[in-house]
Amino acid sequence: MKYLTIALTKGRLAGKTMKLLAQAGIECKEMQDPETRKLIFTDEKNRLKFFLAKGQDVPTYVEYGAADLGVTGEDTILEENRRVYEVLDLGFGKCRMCVAGPAQAAGLLRHKEQITVATKYPRIARDYFHNRKNQTVEIIKLNGSVELAPIVGLSDVICDIVETGTTLKENGLIVLEEVCPLSARVIVNPVSMRMENERISCLLRSMNDIIEK
Amino acid sequence: MKENLLHTPDGVRDIYGTECEQKHILENRMHKVLNSYGYRDIETPAFEYFDVFGHEIGTTPSRELYKFFDREGSTLVLRPDFTPSIARASSKYFMEENHPIRLCYLGNTYVNYLDYLGRMKESTQMGAELIGDPGPEADAEVIAMVIEMLLSAGLKEFQISVGQELFFDALAGEAALNPEDTETLRELIRNKNSFGVEKLLKGKNIAPELRQLFVQIPSMFGGEEIIEKAEEMTDCEEARAALERLRDVLRILEVYGLEQYVSIDLGMMSGFMYYTGIIFRGYTYGSGDAIIKGGRYDELLKNFGKPSPAIGFVVVINSLLHAMNRQQVPIVSEADRKLVFYDDQSRDEAIRTAMNLRKQGSDAELRKVEAADFSKTDAQICQEGGYRDVIHTERGQKT
Repeated sequence: MKYLTIALTKGRLAGKTMKLLAQAGIECKEMQDPETRKLIFTDEKNRLKFFLAKGQDVPTYVEYGAADLGVTGEDTILEENRRVYEVLDLGFGKCRMCVAGPAQAAGLLRHKEQITVATKYPRIARDYFHNRKNQTVEIIKLNGSVELAPIVGLSDVICDIVETGTTLKENGLIVLEEVCPLSARVIVNPVSMRMENERISCLLRSMNDIIEK
Repeated sequence: MKENLLHTPDGVRDIYGTECEQKHILENRMHKVLNSYGYRDIETPAFEYFDVFGHEIGTTPSRELYKFFDREGSTLVLRPDFTPSIARASSKYFMEENHPIRLCYLGNTYVNYLDYLGRMKESTQMGAELIGDPGPEADAEVIAMVIEMLLSAGLKEFQISVGQELFFDALAGEAALNPEDTETLRELIRNKNSFGVEKLLKGKNIAPELRQLFVQIPSMFGGEEIIEKAEEMTDCEEARAALERLRDVLRILEVYGLEQYVSIDLGMMSGFMYYTGIIFRGYTYGSGDAIIKGGRYDELLKNFGKPSPAIGFVVVINSLLHAMNRQQVPIVSEADRKLVFYDDQSRDEAIRTAMNLRKQGSDAELRKVEAADFSKTDAQICQEGGYRDVIHTERGQKT
């Protein structure tokens, strides 16, 4: 039997996913060793392979079939816009994609004037402002600590993920608009979905049953 | 050597050696199948006027087209796929024909993808178009031909998924959503995203059975039983007719004896706007994307002034070859390739030997050496260079 390969997002999401899989009877002992330097882990019993990747790269691995399935945040799926099937909402890793900024920036969003938006997600930001709000914006792509941008005057507002809102609050920013709610998703390679349909469907069904419980 | 002269731009590459040989073998094998079904070759130009590939005909987004200008200022485009060109050519040259036309082609296509996506911007496509036959027989013929092509190429494990654009169109018509929502819904179903479908339809004024069906479509793939399942879920006459057509095609494929390679996928829809009926894709291990894409496009030809039903498909040769190599399917040349060594003293004899070999149907390559060199065995030379045999005529001995 061929191995099914699953790409997981490094960090908290991987831990939660493995916990869910454990409930579905899939355990990967190799992966629980915190000292391990291995990049790829095998579950011989179920003929599964796992590897950890950066969130943004998970859709890429899945698109090329280097992984049959992947688990990552909806934000990266939207941003990467890869040719993959998005098949299951895992219900955890919940957060929101928001437009945030200082309170006085709220007015800038009400008119169609051109403003600057700093974000790690240029595609999502552009789609939201251009297609949903019909507001022309200049987008500045940053790679982290996006909250800094409006404080130091790099941009008017930011478009970023908000979990609890603590970081925003501590920096004098507020959520101005919600773009969309987000959560962790399972994505599948279109070819794998056809060629390994039975095993993948079975895996998804058992994951879904646990989530719905 | 100048380094900047050695590189090819991002997204294009050289194909040489074994890979090139294997590619040509595949092309030849599949081309024979096309001819055996009565398809005639056609060549169209590599670039055409923008409007042939433009928005109304809708294949590739405009920003992904390679565009340039001629001296008069007209916009030209490098072809991103063949179908519009074939449609244009057939509308022009076969205006008067009233029997179906069968055409096949082979060539390179160009799509200007963003860099760093790992997608090739130039790819070789082989395909066929059957123009002027609206029936399920045409659908089945084209699908059967695709299967025979893949089998002749040497591929064993593959699957042709068949869908029906009209099924979704009929249901969308019944749901009477606004055009924007219909497009979003199509996109969500195409991506097998049933959560998205549920979310989108929440709060919309749609009959509950229809809503249920939309949510289910993404997972409606498998054998013939899928058609029955879908029939039970809808009373919409157009949708049922669309399903009946699918069943007809399957029945004809049984006559071909090829039904075991086919599965049904009601959620499959093409990104190409011109498809209007049966559509299909070919999948195999070792390729992240479909190796075959095809479908019926009855509305396309009227853009060129000759309304006519048509169905066609394309094989992405590079992806097929890549998948076969990954699956370790051997692609062995049937050519009887020989290498003839000679030196100054044996030149005339060697040329005559080579000519004789060629007459007998072998490939003979001549190689001049200073003197016989035995540092490599003949077996090694054959192995390294892909020869079946080595012939020595040289008389001088290495001192």
